[in-house]
Amino acid sequence: MADLSAGGSASPGTSLSVPVGGRVRGLSWWRTPTARRYLFGYTLLAPAVLYVSLLVGIPFLFSLYLAMSDAAVGDPVARFVGIANFQAALENATFYTALRNTLVFTLGAGIMKGLLGTTLAFLLLRPFVGRKFVRALIVIPFTLPIAVSVLGWKWMFDSQFSVMNWGLHRLGLIGGYGSPDWPIWLGQPGLALLSVMFVNVWRGFPFSAIVLLAGLTSVPPEIIEAAKVDGANFIQRFRKVIVPMIAPILFVGTAFDTVFTLSDLSIVYLLTNGGPDGATEILPTLAYNTGIKAGALGRGAAISLFLFPLLLPAIIVLLRTLRRRQY
Amino acid sequence: MAVVAHPAPRSPRAREIRRHALIYAGLFPFLVIAVFPVFWMAITALKQDPDLYRMDVVPFWFHLPPTWRNFDFLFHNTFYKDWIINTMAISFWVSAITLLTAVPAGYALARLRLPFAENLGIGIFLTYLVPAIILFIPLARVVSTLDLQDSWWSLVVVYPTFTIPFCTWLLMGFFKTVPFEIEEAAMVDGCGQLGALCRVVLPVSWPGLITAVIFSFTLSMQDFLYALAFVSISEQKPVPLGVATELIRGDVFFWGSLMAGALLVGVPVAIIYNLFLDKFITGITGAAIK
Repeated sequence: MADLSAGGSASPGTSLSVPVGGRVRGLSWWRTPTARRYLFGYTLLAPAVLYVSLLVGIPFLFSLYLAMSDAAVGDPVARFVGIANFQAALENATFYTALRNTLVFTLGAGIMKGLLGTTLAFLLLRPFVGRKFVRALIVIPFTLPIAVSVLGWKWMFDSQFSVMNWGLHRLGLIGGYGSPDWPIWLGQPGLALLSVMFVNVWRGFPFSAIVLLAGLTSVPPEIIEAAKVDGANFIQRFRKVIVPMIAPILFVGTAFDTVFTLSDLSIVYLLTNGGPDGATEILPTLAYNTGIKAGALGRGAAISLFLFPLLLPAIIVLLRTLRRRQY
Repeated sequence: MAVVAHPAPRSPRAREIRRHALIYAGLFPFLVIAVFPVFWMAITALKQDPDLYRMDVVPFWFHLPPTWRNFDFLFHNTFYKDWIINTMAISFWVSAITLLTAVPAGYALARLRLPFAENLGIGIFLTYLVPAIILFIPLARVVSTLDLQDSWWSLVVVYPTFTIPFCTWLLMGFFKTVPFEIEEAAMVDGCGQLGALCRVVLPVSWPGLITAVIFSFTLSMQDFLYALAFVSISEQKPVPLGVATELIRGDVFFWGSLMAGALLVGVPVAIIYNLFLDKFITGITGAAIK
């Protein structure tokens, strides 16, 4: 009857009949108000838990299995091949390009988003006329559906009619179309990687700013005043007072952004599809092109699983931040 | 307040004006970068084709009268109408599935003091972080087992994998703010727990429910990968996929119609998302602010 004492100590807030010792002992445990509350609660939870287990949990495990099989589109029979798919990936030069690009992309774009987001958050921190309006305009990149805005960028990066090239040309910074310094944003290897990173930064900086802003406004002004009185300058206040206080929210924001950036396929897929010559190939595009386009499900699953160790730090950070809250 | 001694003390008004000028100057580049692409898409959508491909004139305005032709093209020569209907239908079913599962789950986690509630809540939320790029290949098998490949119904099945975790978490936070007393009062009046939930708690929780519906819609609209992987028949596609894949013929881009089709759906989504953005941020960071 250990359950009974555990249930009793949980002090049912919603049930009205406070179980008196004698009465509880007279009933079997599952008829007590606590037991009925548990039953009711887990019944309410069941649909969500089942859905998520069936369509996230099991598929995740299934992807481990697929990655170790030679499953292919249209081929119902999959044979177990062990770690052959992982080995094949590791022997493929494109895989290393994709891995390197993924890291450069995520890290580079992450740093830019952090810098721009911080600047923007401090600009938006104190009240001014039109603040709400300005904020609504600045978050547009984050709120537009990603496929939609990437199409806009594809047009702006057009090889011949790029509006940015028009501007640069008018400013006299580059020659006309066809001249050697006319940038073909999505067609030159270095520029292409920069361009896809730029679109990711463009989409993500409002998110960084808003998350940071949410953190900054949660710091009580008295604490900052107190630091000022103690003679801390702006940099010291930021590093020693504000950052430690908003660290959890920074972690959560960064973790989310990292997961979104690492796993996003649409920017690269729509702008360059990995080209030119693999210059923008990232693990998501490689996994998609291998798994779905070429139909090698097992190979594709193996490649996408290589993302998991990269995602893990973000997930662990998040988990720790969430759990610390309990205590 | 620390009083800073200026050499020439300014009036508070002058200082305010100076502060505003500095803030606006700092924000200006951000505003241009954020808004220009949308402006550029809009003007492209309204330009006639010959006006689009001219590099000799300032491209930021019309040199031929604006036209609705690109929008006409969308509705008469493509499956755009079907895509909108598909998107609406997907959103409706995804919202329905999300509400039916996330509302009870959020309520149970927030209010019923279940053992392991905290860990279960975190567990459900963590599944939001398992990205589509890891799940899309096994889910492709699930979709084909259900015989839903090449139908937008496959997306109805798949989108709740991210809307349920997010909305459960969001609603959990929401239900924690509903006072316990109203349920107790209802139960004193003879309602059971389910009755109290349906008759008393849900009616006062409609802002949370609307928020859940909004996110079922906006998060679904942010997806591209699942649609790309599971739906390849033109008239079954949702708008973002349709616009991105059907308006390009080989190497020919119908830029005007592309931008028209993208904005026609993108702008409403952006406005709705904008209005609920703070709730989204609270949803994902709320756990960290205490």
